[in-house]
Amino acid sequence: MLKHIIKNLCSRRNTISICPEDITAEHELLKSLEELRDDIDAIYGRSLRIRQVDAGSCNACEWECTALSNPIYDIQRFGIDFVASPRHADMLLVTGPVSRQMELALKKTYDAVPDPKFVVACGDCAFNGGIYSGSYAVTGGVSKVLKVDLVIPGCPPSPLKIVTSLLAFLKQQR
Amino acid sequence: MNDQNYRVLSSETRLNEEYIEVAKEDFRTACVSVLKRHDAFLRLMFCTDERAYTGCFRIYAVFSDSRINRFIVINSAVKDNLAYPSITPDIPAAHWYEREIKDMFGLVPEGHPSPQRLVFHESFPEGSFPLRKDWSISEDDLKQWSEGMVVKEPYKFMRVEGEGIFEIPVGPVHAGIIEPGHFRFSAIGETIFYLDSRFFYTHKGIEKQFEKLSFGTGVYLSERVSGTSSFSHSSAYCMAFERMCGIELPDRAAAIRTLVTEMERLYNHIGDIGNMCAGSGLTLGYAKGALIKERLMQLNERVTGSRYLRGVNTLGGVESDILQKSDDIRSTLAHVVKDYRDFMDLILHSLSHIERMETTGYVAKDIAAALGITGLAARASGIDDDMRKCHPHLLYETLGFESNVLTKGDDYARMLARAADADRSILMINELLDMHFSKDLIAGSYSVPSMQYALGYSESPRGSLFYWVKSDHEGSVFRVKLRSPSYCNWSAMPFAVNGDIVPDFPLTNKSFNLSYSGCDM
Repeated sequence: MLKHIIKNLCSRRNTISICPEDITAEHELLKSLEELRDDIDAIYGRSLRIRQVDAGSCNACEWECTALSNPIYDIQRFGIDFVASPRHADMLLVTGPVSRQMELALKKTYDAVPDPKFVVACGDCAFNGGIYSGSYAVTGGVSKVLKVDLVIPGCPPSPLKIVTSLLAFLKQQR
Repeated sequence: MNDQNYRVLSSETRLNEEYIEVAKEDFRTACVSVLKRHDAFLRLMFCTDERAYTGCFRIYAVFSDSRINRFIVINSAVKDNLAYPSITPDIPAAHWYEREIKDMFGLVPEGHPSPQRLVFHESFPEGSFPLRKDWSISEDDLKQWSEGMVVKEPYKFMRVEGEGIFEIPVGPVHAGIIEPGHFRFSAIGETIFYLDSRFFYTHKGIEKQFEKLSFGTGVYLSERVSGTSSFSHSSAYCMAFERMCGIELPDRAAAIRTLVTEMERLYNHIGDIGNMCAGSGLTLGYAKGALIKERLMQLNERVTGSRYLRGVNTLGGVESDILQKSDDIRSTLAHVVKDYRDFMDLILHSLSHIERMETTGYVAKDIAAALGITGLAARASGIDDDMRKCHPHLLYETLGFESNVLTKGDDYARMLARAADADRSILMINELLDMHFSKDLIAGSYSVPSMQYALGYSESPRGSLFYWVKSDHEGSVFRVKLRSPSYCNWSAMPFAVNGDIVPDFPLTNKSFNLSYSGCDM
């Protein structure tokens, strides 16, 4: 055990390497995120807290939201974070075509978010049901259930797309 | 065949599928005898509504074993009294299928130990069966179902009673960014005594939706059943269609499908090994896993135009020639592999992480076998189940694929099974990039036969994946049945967490990393 601990401490394994491509991608991102930070500062007093709700998504949109927290995008450093409780949220980010069996849970989550709050429909399904539109088991988009403030199209929208859409939206709110 | 105690009404063999029709009364006997004689797994079970043509419903049970590349499909007509003998008492793996058939078609499995609703929740109307061809639903019923306030058929959770036992209900909306499902722990102190779970919150009526679309548009839908297995889903769907039409896949298309299937597996497994670190609090491991996964996702986007490998498959072949971008794949992979080795080194030297995983989430081999667990969860519990080996398709035979079986059955074994799978994917990707293929990407012209059917399958990152398609008289979609690996593997979760402490649940859950959307259909 001790041998392993010493080996671990002596090795340089506790570092994360970033390759050149990551840095280029990050450069573009940084520029837009710096701007975003100013907007978040002005509107929310330095933080934007998002509660994500999966309302029947195929899970691709969720993974793109999760990717926003990876070392390449790392949105937490700009004051944006996904929170565990709707009580802590300023924004509800909904994915999926709103399956009928999730509608009640979605409404309850919305009610639990304190005012003022924004609702974002993230992805084509959340916009209008996407390929599931017309199915008996879905309501066909977030707007059928809640008032939507912003739509982020894409199947799924990439992490960069999600961030830039939020930026444009927050600018309008200013 | 001497010990056969059921009468075969008709039999038909196409490719590696052997359809055996028996009378409804013999259904259970026939299934049990096939299972026992061949030491086989129940792969899937489904139903079709043929009342317009033959005046009956038909139930199918598909079996196969790991030694012979053959599927045995027992089927029976069900008419008049809409009940059939349940096979669940003998074959526990059938327990969800029979409940699903009851919800979707209204056929009653006689003798099922717990025949309550599976797919539909309390407020779905009684006596309404969406996959029947003549089904319709009123606006009022839809509204009530959506609102979820009226209980039309109550659902009973398993209740554990006794001194000091309490229930912890979790979900459907969870703390993290994950899919919705409801878990109910009965705990004594920190120890889980029983876990009951409820799914199908994300039920989207996918199988009915397939019937509304053309076969071609179905590819698009199949890619959106379960996000992180988009490619495996569309491959299995396309394969079922191609086998139904007798289409021979050009070798370049087969190579690209094999390549992309392995690319999908690689990004999933590395991401999942990283996510398991989040389950035990090894933040650096989680960050490294997410970083490597992101690089692979960016590679996916560069070579296929989609981070989730969508838009590659098409009926009869593939849309784009990914092999032309082999340089990018090769160089990115070389870079990724270096980091991946470092990452694994970090994990395998993090003793607290490993100790947390060892003996946690244990699934015994006999339980895994009885429940029909599939994929790496099965391979971690000592069951040699890998569609790439048992039923070689695409180029897996050429590549000489061998599966990797572990025996411990705990979270650690599942992580090691993932790592072994990822290693093999890296080798196969490199091997495929060095091979040479003809130019064709899509098979020549074909026509859709009427009233024909076939099975398609693939080994997705989570396990075996099946599609069964059938055409109608006009060559349109009559029925599409899909069975995702998560549908089988969710059953293992209550067994895996039994006796563990509640905080181990997220870790065990991540070690399986099952899809809710794929399961809920």
